[in-house]
Amino acid sequence: MRVARVFRLAVADALANRRSFYVQVIAMAINDLTWVIFWLLFFNAVGNVRGWNGDDVLVLFSILLTSAGIALGLLGNSRKLGQLVADGEIDAALALPLDPLAFLLARRVDTALLGDLAMGPLLFAYASDHTPESLAIYLGGVACASVVLVGFLVTISSLTLFFGGRGEQADLGFQAILIMASYPLDIFGGQVKLVLFTLIPAAFVTGLPTSLLRDFDPATALALLAAAIGFASLGVGLFRLGLRRYASGAVWTQA
Amino acid sequence: MVVIDAQALAKRFGDVEAVQSITFAVEAGERLAYIGPNGAGKSTSIKMLTGILYPTGGTATVLGLVPWRQRRQLAHRIGTLFGQRSQLWFQLSPRETLALLGRIYRLSGGETARRIASLGELLDATELFDRPVRTLSLGERMRCELAASVLHEPEILFLDEPTIGLDLVAKARFRDLILRLNEERATTIFLTSHDVSDIEQVARRVIVINHGQLIYDDRVSRMRRDLLRTRLIDVRFETPPGELAIDGATLVKLSGPGAKLEVDTEQRSIRAVLDDLLDRYDVADISVTEPPLEDVITHIYGQAPA
Amino acid sequence: MGGLTPYGVAFTRGVLRALSRPGDLAVRVGFYLIILIVTSALWRAALDANDGELAGYDRVALFWYVAAAQAAQLGPRPRTIEEVGDEIGAGTVAVQMLRPVSVVGLRIASELGEAMLRVVVAFVIAAAGMLVTVGAPHSTAGALLSLPAALLGCTLSVTAQHACGGIAFWLLDARATWFLWSKLVFLLGGLLIPLELLPDGIGNVAKVLPWASMTWVPGRLASGDLDPLLIGLQLVWLLIAAVLAAGVFALGERRLQVVGG
Repeated sequence: MRVARVFRLAVADALANRRSFYVQVIAMAINDLTWVIFWLLFFNAVGNVRGWNGDDVLVLFSILLTSAGIALGLLGNSRKLGQLVADGEIDAALALPLDPLAFLLARRVDTALLGDLAMGPLLFAYASDHTPESLAIYLGGVACASVVLVGFLVTISSLTLFFGGRGEQADLGFQAILIMASYPLDIFGGQVKLVLFTLIPAAFVTGLPTSLLRDFDPATALALLAAAIGFASLGVGLFRLGLRRYASGAVWTQA
Repeated sequence: MVVIDAQALAKRFGDVEAVQSITFAVEAGERLAYIGPNGAGKSTSIKMLTGILYPTGGTATVLGLVPWRQRRQLAHRIGTLFGQRSQLWFQLSPRETLALLGRIYRLSGGETARRIASLGELLDATELFDRPVRTLSLGERMRCELAASVLHEPEILFLDEPTIGLDLVAKARFRDLILRLNEERATTIFLTSHDVSDIEQVARRVIVINHGQLIYDDRVSRMRRDLLRTRLIDVRFETPPGELAIDGATLVKLSGPGAKLEVDTEQRSIRAVLDDLLDRYDVADISVTEPPLEDVITHIYGQAPA
Repeated sequence: MGGLTPYGVAFTRGVLRALSRPGDLAVRVGFYLIILIVTSALWRAALDANDGELAGYDRVALFWYVAAAQAAQLGPRPRTIEEVGDEIGAGTVAVQMLRPVSVVGLRIASELGEAMLRVVVAFVIAAAGMLVTVGAPHSTAGALLSLPAALLGCTLSVTAQHACGGIAFWLLDARATWFLWSKLVFLLGGLLIPLELLPDGIGNVAKVLPWASMTWVPGRLASGDLDPLLIGLQLVWLLIAAVLAAGVFALGERRLQVVGG
């Protein structure tokens, strides 16, 4: 597949500067470790909270890191689509005989986020109950979570195609969803929870996958799958619509 | 054979008419410069012709296809080079991007390699292909970008301000390469630019647009000849003439032994003016030049649509 | 602007700069609110699991703590260390030294203008939110004092980051330095978890480190602990940071005189 070749080149490009690569990966790993330390200190001081303990949260965290590593690290442009539109880089993508969204997503690997991809599985290896079922649920959960993340980011980035701007909303969105997804869903009240299932779908990024790992339930699994398909379709659809609008020149860009 | 056919092409953004009813046709193998001041509608026109924007009025076909409807199909047959945007992966060598492009355009590995080799020769870029892009100077990078734009042997090459940021030597070299492409591969060249030298050295035909309208469409040589009848005479005298008055010539500058005159050849022929000068004054050196193309174009910008 | 010193001018310009970018301000405040929502939810759950009290903090105290501590760290621009490190390296610092004022002083004043505006805005909004959700703070004086303490903490942070910019340049990678810095603020500054909840030894040591003075002190005041030593601690660290920053920039100038260019 040609897009796979594009991705391979993006990986090579990211690896080309070895020193920078290692520095960034290690820096991110330290960053992640800070959070692990925080959680350990937290549960040390507070004890069990609403049925959650340290290991539970570490598992949640491992899912978050792995899917963030995939959605933001491997598909580095997912949160930058707005910026690319504003810079006119989308024109270069349109000039090629490839699907523009696929090309743009595959085109760049964001080294800074790859540290998460390293830490995530490590954390899971440490904190999980080491059964093959858990591994399968983890992999499936991460896959769905990544799709939800990418779909969400593409959706809000696509707004730039409709309303202009430089895609700052995507920056805020990506930080918001990552923050919200870093915490157990059970600590939030009803109203916030509603937001986390809709506007900022953090519930599908860590909430549901973690709950499946603690207690597998086919209905929840189906819901997660549906969410993944839903957000993916939303992202692709909105981007395509946005492109048509862009082609109408409705949005003045710098290009 | 007509490869680009624009009929009353128009584009309106809200209240703004960026392009108002532009009509022209380009034949295969032509070298066309599409020029205009900032905001004239150049980029908008090129985007419509490459299928990125769709028009609000009129039609256009490029190689028989409607660009905004058959964009992907057209992409196989046209090449684009946007001056300020890079197609090359920054940390990798151009060769790796070229190899990828070969795959994207569905060329076989062997065919891609063959084409890369021949482009390397054509564009004097072979020794650049294996260095990381970040180590290349802008001029060197542009040569590689050019290779990337024509790897799939497009019939038309659209260039949008390709020489921006290049020094004079690099610019001259780049223009030379475009000429080579046109001569050896009969690639139609469609170039937008601000730079007057791009026009002088690359294009044979020039279209001038301003305020979204087509102002001028003709050969470059004729543009210079027909549009301004002015000639400039630079003369140096053996002894400073003190006063200088020639029929049909306007004195632009007189400083010591040198003088600059402007002649409207409609009013009086150059021959007559020169005869006068040489008869009445002690001339040490004399040269007759055409006005710089800059002036010609600025003059055109001010004109009403054709 | 006749009566203002150059530093006053730089400061005012900073404030105006921040005001001229309402979108940016809105984004930061929005971000801050999200963090507040999340941390409040977390700590509410934590309190519930511990009969409503943790290390002497009850709900009211803890929420006001979080609001103040988070507001204090909202101010400084995240890339300061990196930028200062780059500027030293690029020699921009040396060029600026040609002016007859303290370069580092000007730079700090300018950044503080922006930073303080953000802190004030965030504070006001959060205070309103807190009043609505948990009610009045245990000590109104403490809560009121926590604003200047937050501003002081912000000043300390900006000044210290300028000093660290020097380290960034000479010892480490600028970006990595900032990364480590922010982690230190999070953990040792009491931002993620009040220092009283840390294991005893660590907590007490952290309290006297500079990071605690940036965020934990304003948080502590807002939670109701009206200890004047808290402000004293901030002032001491501010002095140390100022001296360090001045020293770093002086070295930066000298480096350029040696290297030339």
